[in-house]
Amino acid sequence: MSDHSLKNTSDDQPELSRRGFLKTGLGGALLLSTVSLTAGLTGCATTPAGRISAVDTRTDARYQFQFLSRDDIALFEALLPAMFAGALPEEANQRRFAIAGTIERVDQGIAMFGPANQQELRKLFDLLNFAPTRIALARVWSDWPSVSTEDADAFLNRWRNSRIGLLNNGYIALTKISNVAFYGHAPHWHVSGYAGPPAWAVDALPQFHNA
Amino acid sequence: MSMNDPIARGLASGWNVTDASKLTADQTVEADVVVIGTGAGGGTTAEILARQGLSVILVEEGRLYYQKDFKMDELTAYASLYQEGMSRVTADGAIAILQGRCVGGSTTVNWTSSFRTPDETLNYWSQSFGLDDLTPEAMAPWFGGREERHTMAPWQTPPNLNNDILRQGCEKLGYSWQVIPRNVKGCWNLGYCGVGCPTNAKQGALMTTIPGALDNSAQLFHGLRAERLVMNQDRIDHLQASAMGPDGVHPSGVTVTLKARHFVVAASAIGSPGLLLRSELPDPHQRVGKRSFIHPVNATVARMSAKVDPFHGAPQSIYSDEFNFKHGVDGPAGYKLEVPPLHPAMAAGVVPGHGKEQANNLGQLPHMQSVIALLRDGFHPDSPGGTVSLREDGSPILDYPITDYLWQGIREAYLHMAEIQFAAGAEAVQAMHLDSDWYTSWSQAKAAINNLPMKPHRARLFTAHQMGGCGMGADAKNSVVNGFGEHHHVTNLSIHDASIFPTSIGANPQLSVYALAARNSARLAQRLVRA
Repeated sequence: MSDHSLKNTSDDQPELSRRGFLKTGLGGALLLSTVSLTAGLTGCATTPAGRISAVDTRTDARYQFQFLSRDDIALFEALLPAMFAGALPEEANQRRFAIAGTIERVDQGIAMFGPANQQELRKLFDLLNFAPTRIALARVWSDWPSVSTEDADAFLNRWRNSRIGLLNNGYIALTKISNVAFYGHAPHWHVSGYAGPPAWAVDALPQFHNA
Repeated sequence: MSMNDPIARGLASGWNVTDASKLTADQTVEADVVVIGTGAGGGTTAEILARQGLSVILVEEGRLYYQKDFKMDELTAYASLYQEGMSRVTADGAIAILQGRCVGGSTTVNWTSSFRTPDETLNYWSQSFGLDDLTPEAMAPWFGGREERHTMAPWQTPPNLNNDILRQGCEKLGYSWQVIPRNVKGCWNLGYCGVGCPTNAKQGALMTTIPGALDNSAQLFHGLRAERLVMNQDRIDHLQASAMGPDGVHPSGVTVTLKARHFVVAASAIGSPGLLLRSELPDPHQRVGKRSFIHPVNATVARMSAKVDPFHGAPQSIYSDEFNFKHGVDGPAGYKLEVPPLHPAMAAGVVPGHGKEQANNLGQLPHMQSVIALLRDGFHPDSPGGTVSLREDGSPILDYPITDYLWQGIREAYLHMAEIQFAAGAEAVQAMHLDSDWYTSWSQAKAAINNLPMKPHRARLFTAHQMGGCGMGADAKNSVVNGFGEHHHVTNLSIHDASIFPTSIGANPQLSVYALAARNSARLAQRLVRA
């Protein structure tokens, strides 16, 4: 691998093994593509979940997933309660509904990212869903459906505070797509104290009044 | 739809506009000139050429969105109007790239700030790149003409509090500040410029040059991606293009072949080098994609006791050039200070975080104020810019390493932004950096910011201004086009967008693009009409 990634390992003892494993740049990309391939071969769900039954996953059965796989959905179901602690509704049904809707909007958003960035996210999600890499890089020991909110929060903090840029980048990617899908959704605007476009303007503008 | 909307009216009147996603069979079309891109450069070029009686075809990869679509909603706008659904980043993911992808390009989604190219920048270009014709005096009439065409004038309405805090802070500290000229006509002061102007007040390409071109018989294909310029001997023979499907993301499989006497590339500082690289055009000195500049942007946010409502009102109306050319044009990195609008999704995407901390931060959005610094890159040997190259699938990607020279400017900018916010009465200030806390005094902020690690990913960086990659210059050894945007090696190819800037601008670049495109199109029209 490049000497750039090798010479960075000395100052950072606890991260050493992971650094050797997950190089930034090309090394990281190569590793991640291998993960994607391996994950597919070992039975991880890497294809879009499509329409899935409401009983099965708590999501709206009418929604057709375009990008997220069943495993990705389970990942977000585990992460979002930590991601939006203090912002999600307390009431259980409303809470489930808000999480499921946010995952659908994450899927809708990614659908417009285009092939190149979709591929990057596929690698990231596969890395998080494939047990050996999930354990090695995220230090999450159990499958996502059995991960507690506290453990999910601890994982997010580990990636946020890591000295490995690639893991910081993973943290930013996960939080950014989730934050935008959650806080940007009109029924959640009140969480940030945003009242929406001024009513007088909405009333006056033709695009809000055509059937 | 209201017939007061110029686009709806034009379409009804029979403009020659083709939604390529509706094409079912391959086709070949021909014109005097094919213009690739419909942003500041492409729109200007198409209008000027069409008014001279030349037949023009405009090619746009994004789709045609207009008033009926502009509903002041972030999620739909980011997904449809921005490159890669607002997920575009530099190669290592460390810098988020905000860039338009729609008819009108970034002018459809920009915040309307309209600055002439600074004299210092033009003079530097003359001295360093042999661009002797681009003096401030020679360019003045072109700036003036474009200011008139796009109704650019200093904003007369009082700034919103978000912007006024920048003014107040500068005033207290004795730093210079000015009112920003905006390209608007009858603006309602709503604050939704970034998601497509809902009132048609913004005089970007969509309300000016695109209708101007279409009124003069130009043809527009939207949802059509320029794949490859194909040469025959020393000239470009045709452009090969792919129709995008109804989702605007995946090609439908239908192709369009566009033949012309002359081709103008105006596909942005990422798209234009990408197209040239895909086309494998002559590039003997390997200049295409090099020296790409972005005005790297960092930010601080402040918590004010007053209600700021940073989502309402003209998004940018005050700026400070106190630190832009302070150390000379080519000294330590200078930066322009401005203010960003903060709507919930934008704020949630920009402010990094999760959990209770994030909920608390965003919960105070109405009291949040932000300042951004736009670093002037490309004027110093230690700021050589980034490189546009092609991914395996042929799409362009920008690699932009941040040099120590720039990190120094970034740290200094964090400091001055925090200083200004405290001077304007901020209760607390946070640098947009993964290691920054909320600081409650200037002295605390100063000490802490001086110790923040200046590292990719930890410092949150953005760019809304992509420039360079097909730089202009007198010498073909270090440039792609000459001072008129004419390709050094291909006679019937011009480049009319921000990609030809040999450095960054040191100001929001739309007027620089409009003016240079107007000047170069006037010359091109003369050439083509005569021929």
